Amino acid sequence: MSTPARRPGELLRNAGGGSGGQPAQLADVLERVLDKGIVIAGDIQVNLLDIELLTIRLRLLVASADKAREMGIDWWEGDPFLGRGQKNGELEDRLKRLEQAAGIDGDSRSDDSD
Amino acid sequence: MTPTEAIYVYGVVRGGTAPDLFADVGGIDGRSPVRLVVADGTAAITSAVPLSEFDAEPLERNLKDSGWLERKVHAHNDVLAAAVGKTVVLPLRFGAIYTSEEHVREMLRASPELARRLERLDGLLEFGVKGVLDAAALRSRLADNGVDDAADTGGRAYMLQKQRERGIAEEMRAFAAACADASHERLSQAAEDATANPAQPSDVAGREMLLNGAYLVRAGREQQLGDAVRELEERFGADGVSYELTGPWPPYNFAGEEAES
Repeated sequence: MSTPARRPGELLRNAGGGSGGQPAQLADVLERVLDKGIVIAGDIQVNLLDIELLTIRLRLLVASADKAREMGIDWWEGDPFLGRGQKNGELEDRLKRLEQAAGIDGDSRSDDSD
Repeated sequence: MTPTEAIYVYGVVRGGTAPDLFADVGGIDGRSPVRLVVADGTAAITSAVPLSEFDAEPLERNLKDSGWLERKVHAHNDVLAAAVGKTVVLPLRFGAIYTSEEHVREMLRASPELARRLERLDGLLEFGVKGVLDAAALRSRLADNGVDDAADTGGRAYMLQKQRERGIAEEMRAFAAACADASHERLSQAAEDATANPAQPSDVAGREMLLNGAYLVRAGREQQLGDAVRELEERFGADGVSYELTGPWPPYNFAGEEAES
Protein backbone atom coordinates (compact mmCIF):
# COMPACT_ATOMS: atom_id res chain seq x y z
CA MET A 1 0.00 0.00 0.00
CA SER A 2 1.39 3.37 -0.88
CA THR A 3 1.77 6.09 1.70
CA PRO A 4 -1.19 8.44 1.64
CA ALA A 5 -0.42 12.04 0.77
CA ARG A 6 0.57 13.96 3.87
CA ARG A 7 -1.16 17.14 4.77
CA PRO A 8 0.99 19.37 6.93
CA GLY A 9 -1.94 20.53 9.04
CA GLU A 10 -2.67 16.94 9.96
CA LEU A 11 0.91 16.28 10.95
CA LEU A 12 1.00 19.36 13.09
CA ARG A 13 -1.76 17.88 15.17
CA ASN A 14 -0.62 14.28 15.27
CA ALA A 15 3.14 14.19 15.19
CA GLY A 16 6.08 13.81 17.39
CA GLY A 17 6.70 15.49 20.65
CA GLY A 18 3.18 16.60 21.42
CA SER A 19 1.22 15.26 24.34
CA GLY A 20 -1.52 13.55 22.32
CA GLY A 21 -1.58 11.61 19.08
CA GLN A 22 1.04 9.25 17.69
CA PRO A 23 4.18 8.43 19.62
CA ALA A 24 7.29 10.24 18.43
CA GLN A 25 9.65 8.40 16.12
CA LEU A 26 12.55 6.70 17.84
CA ALA A 27 15.27 8.20 15.67
CA ASP A 28 13.96 11.74 16.29
CA VAL A 29 13.64 11.21 20.04
CA LEU A 30 17.10 9.63 20.33
CA GLU A 31 18.67 12.49 18.44
CA ARG A 32 17.03 15.14 20.60
CA VAL A 33 17.26 13.53 24.03
CA LEU A 34 20.83 12.24 23.64
CA ASP A 35 22.37 14.95 21.50
CA LYS A 36 20.40 18.16 22.18
CA GLY A 37 19.07 19.92 25.24
CA ILE A 38 21.03 21.61 28.01
CA VAL A 39 23.99 19.71 29.35
CA ILE A 40 24.18 19.91 33.15
CA ALA A 41 26.53 17.65 35.07
CA GLY A 42 24.72 16.02 37.99
CA ASP A 43 26.17 14.16 40.97
CA ILE A 44 26.32 10.85 39.16
CA GLN A 45 28.75 10.78 36.29
CA VAL A 46 27.11 9.67 33.07
CA ASN A 47 29.62 8.57 30.48
CA LEU A 48 28.71 11.11 27.82
CA LEU A 49 31.36 9.70 25.54
CA ASP A 50 29.31 6.54 25.27
CA ILE A 51 26.19 8.55 24.61
CA GLU A 52 27.90 10.62 21.95
CA LEU A 53 29.23 7.51 20.29
CA LEU A 54 25.75 6.01 20.40
CA THR A 55 24.47 9.07 18.60
CA ILE A 56 27.17 8.78 15.98
CA ARG A 57 26.31 5.13 15.47
CA LEU A 58 22.69 6.16 15.21
CA ARG A 59 23.54 8.61 12.46
CA LEU A 60 25.51 6.02 10.58
CA LEU A 61 23.07 3.19 10.83
CA VAL A 62 19.56 4.30 11.58
CA ALA A 63 17.59 6.03 8.89
CA SER A 64 14.20 5.67 10.52
CA ALA A 65 12.50 4.17 13.54
CA ASP A 66 11.06 1.37 11.42
CA LYS A 67 14.48 0.57 10.07
CA ALA A 68 15.87 0.53 13.61
CA ARG A 69 13.22 -1.94 14.73
CA GLU A 70 13.88 -4.09 11.69
CA MET A 71 17.51 -4.15 12.67
CA GLY A 72 16.69 -4.99 16.28
CA ILE A 73 18.49 -1.80 17.39
CA ASP A 74 21.46 -3.80 18.58
CA TRP A 75 23.95 -1.89 16.53
CA TRP A 76 26.38 -1.11 19.34
CA GLU A 77 26.73 -4.67 20.53
CA GLY A 78 30.21 -5.89 19.76
CA ASP A 79 31.19 -2.42 18.62
CA PRO A 80 34.88 -2.03 19.46
CA PHE A 81 34.54 1.73 20.04
CA LEU A 82 31.69 1.42 22.46
CA GLY A 83 33.27 -1.56 24.18
CA ARG A 84 36.22 0.51 25.26
CA GLY A 85 34.38 3.79 25.75
CA GLN A 86 35.30 4.07 29.41
CA LYS A 87 39.02 3.74 28.73
CA ASN A 88 38.84 6.34 26.00
CA GLY A 89 37.14 8.73 28.39
CA GLU A 90 39.87 8.29 30.97
CA LEU A 91 42.56 8.80 28.38
CA GLU A 92 40.84 11.91 27.04
CA ASP A 93 40.55 13.34 30.54
CA ARG A 94 44.17 12.59 31.29
CA LEU A 95 45.31 14.12 28.02
CA LYS A 96 43.23 17.23 28.72
CA ARG A 97 44.70 17.61 32.20
CA LEU A 98 48.23 17.18 30.88
CA GLU A 99 47.61 19.67 28.10
CA GLN A 100 46.17 22.19 30.51
CA ALA A 101 49.16 21.73 32.82
CA ALA A 102 51.50 22.23 29.86
CA GLY A 103 49.54 25.25 28.60
CA ILE A 104 48.70 23.63 25.27
CA ASP A 105 45.39 24.44 23.62
CA GLY A 106 43.71 21.04 23.32
CA ASP A 107 41.31 22.19 20.61
CA SER A 108 44.01 22.87 18.03
CA ARG A 109 45.08 19.24 18.29
CA SER A 110 42.21 17.96 16.20
CA ASP A 111 43.15 20.22 13.29
CA ASP A 112 46.45 18.44 12.80
CA SER A 113 44.99 15.50 10.92
CA ASP A 114 46.22 15.07 7.37
CA MET B 1 14.45 9.84 50.54
CA THR B 2 16.27 6.60 51.20
CA PRO B 3 19.87 6.12 50.06
CA THR B 4 18.61 3.60 47.49
CA GLU B 5 17.25 6.42 45.34
CA ALA B 6 18.56 9.39 43.35
CA ILE B 7 16.84 12.35 41.65
CA TYR B 8 16.58 12.45 37.87
CA VAL B 9 16.13 15.91 36.30
CA TYR B 10 14.27 16.21 32.96
CA GLY B 11 14.22 19.93 32.47
CA VAL B 12 13.49 23.32 33.98
CA VAL B 13 10.31 25.42 34.13
CA ARG B 14 9.36 28.67 35.86
CA GLY B 15 9.12 28.55 39.64
CA GLY B 16 5.37 29.22 39.61
CA THR B 17 4.48 26.32 37.31
CA ALA B 18 1.58 24.17 38.56
CA PRO B 19 2.93 20.72 39.57
CA ASP B 20 -0.25 18.97 38.36
CA LEU B 21 0.89 19.68 34.80
CA PHE B 22 2.83 16.42 35.15
CA ALA B 23 0.18 14.49 37.11
CA ASP B 24 -0.69 12.25 34.15
CA VAL B 25 2.84 11.25 33.19
CA GLY B 26 5.01 8.68 34.96
CA GLY B 27 8.66 9.06 35.89
CA ILE B 28 11.53 7.51 33.95
CA ASP B 29 11.57 4.53 36.34
CA GLY B 30 8.00 3.70 35.30
CA ARG B 31 6.31 4.41 38.63
CA SER B 32 7.62 7.41 40.60
CA PRO B 33 5.57 10.60 40.37
CA VAL B 34 7.02 13.67 38.65
CA ARG B 35 7.70 16.49 41.11
CA LEU B 36 8.90 20.07 40.86
CA VAL B 37 11.90 21.15 42.95
CA VAL B 38 11.80 24.95 43.23
CA ALA B 39 14.56 27.47 43.96
CA ASP B 40 15.08 31.12 43.03
CA GLY B 41 12.24 31.51 40.54
CA THR B 42 12.92 28.33 38.53
CA ALA B 43 11.84 24.75 39.10
CA ALA B 44 13.47 21.47 38.12
CA ILE B 45 11.19 18.75 36.75
CA THR B 46 12.30 15.66 38.67
CA SER B 47 11.41 12.16 39.76
CA ALA B 48 13.04 9.59 42.03
CA VAL B 49 15.04 6.82 40.34
CA PRO B 50 16.53 3.65 41.87
CA LEU B 51 20.31 3.70 42.25
CA SER B 52 20.28 0.05 41.24
CA GLU B 53 19.42 1.31 37.73
CA PHE B 54 20.87 4.84 37.59
CA ASP B 55 24.09 4.79 39.64
CA ALA B 56 27.21 5.26 37.49
CA GLU B 57 28.12 1.63 37.13
CA PRO B 58 24.67 0.10 36.31
CA LEU B 59 23.92 3.13 34.14
CA GLU B 60 26.94 2.52 31.96
CA ARG B 61 25.78 -1.06 31.47
CA ASN B 62 22.18 0.00 30.79
CA LEU B 63 23.22 2.56 28.16
CA LYS B 64 24.39 -0.32 26.00
CA ASP B 65 21.03 -2.10 26.27
CA SER B 66 18.99 -0.98 23.26
CA GLY B 67 15.61 -1.79 24.81
CA TRP B 68 16.43 0.03 28.05
CA LEU B 69 17.74 3.09 26.26
CA GLU B 70 14.71 3.26 23.95
CA ARG B 71 12.28 3.15 26.90
CA LYS B 72 14.17 5.72 28.96
CA VAL B 73 14.67 8.15 26.12
CA HIS B 74 10.95 8.01 25.28
CA ALA B 75 10.06 8.46 28.98
CA HIS B 76 12.37 11.49 29.24
CA ASN B 77 10.68 13.05 26.21
CA ASP B 78 7.16 12.18 27.41
CA VAL B 79 7.65 14.04 30.69
CA LEU B 80 8.87 17.17 28.91
CA ALA B 81 6.15 16.88 26.26
CA ALA B 82 3.52 17.17 29.00
CA ALA B 83 4.52 20.82 29.39
CA VAL B 84 4.67 21.70 25.68
CA GLY B 85 2.04 24.22 24.64
CA LYS B 86 1.08 24.81 28.29
CA THR B 87 4.15 26.49 29.69
CA VAL B 88 7.71 27.22 28.59
CA VAL B 89 10.13 24.38 29.33
CA LEU B 90 13.93 23.97 29.00
CA PRO B 91 14.83 20.37 28.12
CA LEU B 92 17.96 18.90 29.68
CA ARG B 93 19.99 16.29 27.88
CA PHE B 94 19.54 12.74 29.16
CA GLY B 95 21.35 11.87 32.37
CA ALA B 96 21.31 14.76 34.89
CA ILE B 97 21.13 12.75 38.13
CA TYR B 98 21.49 14.11 41.67
CA THR B 99 21.85 12.43 45.04
CA SER B 100 19.49 14.85 46.85
CA GLU B 101 16.84 17.50 46.22
CA GLU B 102 19.11 20.00 47.97
CA HIS B 103 21.74 19.42 45.28
CA VAL B 104 19.09 20.08 42.63
CA ARG B 105 18.24 23.39 44.33
CA GLU B 106 21.95 24.27 44.47
CA MET B 107 22.19 23.63 40.73
CA LEU B 108 19.20 25.95 40.09
CA ARG B 109 20.66 28.71 42.30
CA ALA B 110 24.02 28.41 40.54
CA SER B 111 22.37 28.70 37.07
CA PRO B 112 20.78 32.16 36.72
CA GLU B 113 20.99 31.81 32.91
CA LEU B 114 18.13 29.27 33.04
CA ALA B 115 15.60 31.99 33.91
CA ARG B 116 16.84 34.11 30.98
CA ARG B 117 16.53 31.18 28.57
CA LEU B 118 12.99 30.47 29.79
CA GLU B 119 11.97 34.06 29.04
CA ARG B 120 13.59 33.89 25.61
CA LEU B 121 11.66 30.73 24.68
CA ASP B 122 8.32 31.83 26.11
CA GLY B 123 5.52 31.31 23.58
CA LEU B 124 7.78 29.49 21.11
CA LEU B 125 7.48 25.88 19.89
CA GLU B 126 10.01 23.63 18.18
CA PHE B 127 9.06 21.73 15.04
CA GLY B 128 11.15 19.36 12.96
CA VAL B 129 11.10 19.20 9.16
CA LYS B 130 12.90 16.50 7.22
CA GLY B 131 13.34 16.67 3.49
CA VAL B 132 13.78 13.25 1.91
CA LEU B 133 14.88 12.61 -1.68
CA ASP B 134 13.81 9.48 -3.53
CA ALA B 135 17.23 9.15 -5.13
CA ALA B 136 16.23 6.22 -7.37
CA ALA B 137 13.33 8.20 -8.85
CA LEU B 138 15.45 11.27 -9.55
CA ARG B 139 18.27 9.16 -11.04
CA SER B 140 15.98 7.37 -13.46
CA ARG B 141 14.38 10.66 -14.44
CA LEU B 142 17.78 12.23 -15.16
CA ALA B 143 18.93 9.08 -16.98
CA ASP B 144 15.92 9.25 -19.32
CA ASN B 145 17.34 12.51 -20.70
CA GLY B 146 20.23 10.80 -22.48
CA VAL B 147 18.79 7.68 -24.11
CA ASP B 148 19.79 8.68 -27.70
CA ASP B 149 23.29 7.30 -27.14
CA ALA B 150 21.89 3.85 -26.35
CA ALA B 151 22.18 2.97 -30.06
CA ASP B 152 25.96 2.90 -29.71
CA THR B 153 27.61 -0.44 -29.01
CA GLY B 154 30.84 -1.81 -27.58
CA GLY B 155 33.57 0.25 -25.98
CA ARG B 156 32.23 3.59 -27.07
CA ALA B 157 28.82 2.88 -25.56
CA TYR B 158 30.49 1.79 -22.35
CA MET B 159 32.47 5.04 -22.11
CA LEU B 160 29.43 7.13 -22.87
CA GLN B 161 27.46 5.21 -20.27
CA LYS B 162 30.14 5.82 -17.60
CA GLN B 163 30.32 9.47 -18.53
CA ARG B 164 26.57 9.82 -18.27
CA GLU B 165 26.49 8.11 -14.87
CA ARG B 166 29.14 10.49 -13.55
CA GLY B 167 27.18 13.42 -14.91
CA ILE B 168 23.98 12.19 -13.28
CA ALA B 169 25.67 11.65 -9.92
CA GLU B 170 27.09 15.18 -10.13
CA GLU B 171 23.71 16.62 -11.05
CA MET B 172 22.06 14.79 -8.15
CA ARG B 173 24.57 16.10 -5.64
CA ALA B 174 24.07 19.62 -6.91
CA PHE B 175 20.30 19.26 -6.81
CA ALA B 176 20.31 17.84 -3.25
CA ALA B 177 22.49 20.67 -1.98
CA ALA B 178 20.46 23.38 -3.72
CA CYS B 179 17.15 21.87 -2.61
CA ALA B 180 18.36 21.57 1.01
CA ASP B 181 19.45 25.23 1.03
CA ALA B 182 16.26 26.48 -0.58
CA SER B 183 14.08 24.40 1.73
CA HIS B 184 15.85 25.50 4.91
CA GLU B 185 15.73 29.12 3.81
CA ARG B 186 12.01 29.00 3.04
CA LEU B 187 11.18 27.21 6.33
CA SER B 188 13.34 29.66 8.29
CA GLN B 189 11.17 32.50 7.00
CA ALA B 190 8.29 31.01 9.01
CA ALA B 191 10.41 30.66 12.16
CA GLU B 192 11.96 32.87 14.85
CA ASP B 193 15.05 30.69 14.87
CA ALA B 194 16.21 27.71 12.83
CA THR B 195 18.96 25.13 12.72
CA ALA B 196 19.91 22.52 10.11
CA ASN B 197 21.21 19.35 11.77
CA PRO B 198 23.32 16.72 10.02
CA ALA B 199 21.14 14.49 7.88
CA GLN B 200 20.54 10.94 9.00
CA PRO B 201 22.00 8.49 6.45
CA SER B 202 20.10 7.14 3.47
CA ASP B 203 18.19 3.90 3.89
CA VAL B 204 18.22 0.75 1.79
CA ALA B 205 15.35 2.01 -0.36
CA GLY B 206 17.61 4.81 -1.62
CA ARG B 207 15.75 7.53 0.24
CA GLU B 208 18.31 10.16 1.02
CA MET B 209 17.69 12.72 3.74
CA LEU B 210 18.74 16.09 2.42
CA LEU B 211 17.38 18.25 5.22
CA ASN B 212 17.10 17.58 8.96
CA GLY B 213 15.95 20.96 10.22
CA ALA B 214 14.54 22.28 13.50
CA TYR B 215 12.41 25.43 13.56
CA LEU B 216 11.36 27.60 16.48
CA VAL B 217 7.88 28.92 15.74
CA ARG B 218 5.71 31.34 17.69
CA ALA B 219 2.58 29.65 19.09
CA GLY B 220 -0.37 30.54 16.88
CA ARG B 221 1.79 30.77 13.74
CA GLU B 222 2.27 27.03 13.25
CA GLN B 223 0.22 27.19 10.07
CA GLN B 224 2.84 29.42 8.44
CA LEU B 225 5.36 26.60 8.80
CA GLY B 226 2.75 24.17 7.45
CA ASP B 227 2.21 26.50 4.48
CA ALA B 228 5.96 26.62 3.83
CA VAL B 229 6.09 22.81 3.81
CA ARG B 230 3.16 22.63 1.38
CA GLU B 231 4.81 25.19 -0.88
CA LEU B 232 8.06 23.17 -0.90
CA GLU B 233 6.15 19.97 -1.67
CA GLU B 234 4.65 21.66 -4.70
CA ARG B 235 8.01 23.04 -5.80
CA PHE B 236 10.20 19.94 -5.34
CA GLY B 237 7.71 17.05 -5.23
CA ALA B 238 8.14 16.29 -8.95
CA ASP B 239 11.89 15.87 -8.37
CA GLY B 240 11.22 13.11 -5.85
CA VAL B 241 11.45 15.18 -2.66
CA SER B 242 8.97 14.71 0.20
CA TYR B 243 8.79 16.50 3.54
CA GLU B 244 7.95 15.29 7.01
CA LEU B 245 6.82 17.70 9.70
CA THR B 246 6.94 16.71 13.38
CA GLY B 247 6.13 18.53 16.58
CA PRO B 248 5.56 20.50 18.62
CA TRP B 249 8.63 19.32 20.52
CA PRO B 250 10.15 20.66 23.70
CA PRO B 251 12.74 23.14 22.37
CA TYR B 252 15.71 20.76 22.55
CA ASN B 253 17.48 22.46 19.66
CA PHE B 254 17.13 25.98 21.01
CA ALA B 255 17.63 25.68 24.78
CA GLY B 256 21.41 25.72 24.93
CA GLU B 257 24.12 28.35 25.04
CA GLU B 258 25.00 28.26 21.37
CA ALA B 259 21.44 29.32 20.54
CA GLU B 260 21.81 32.41 22.73
CA SER B 261 24.18 34.50 20.62
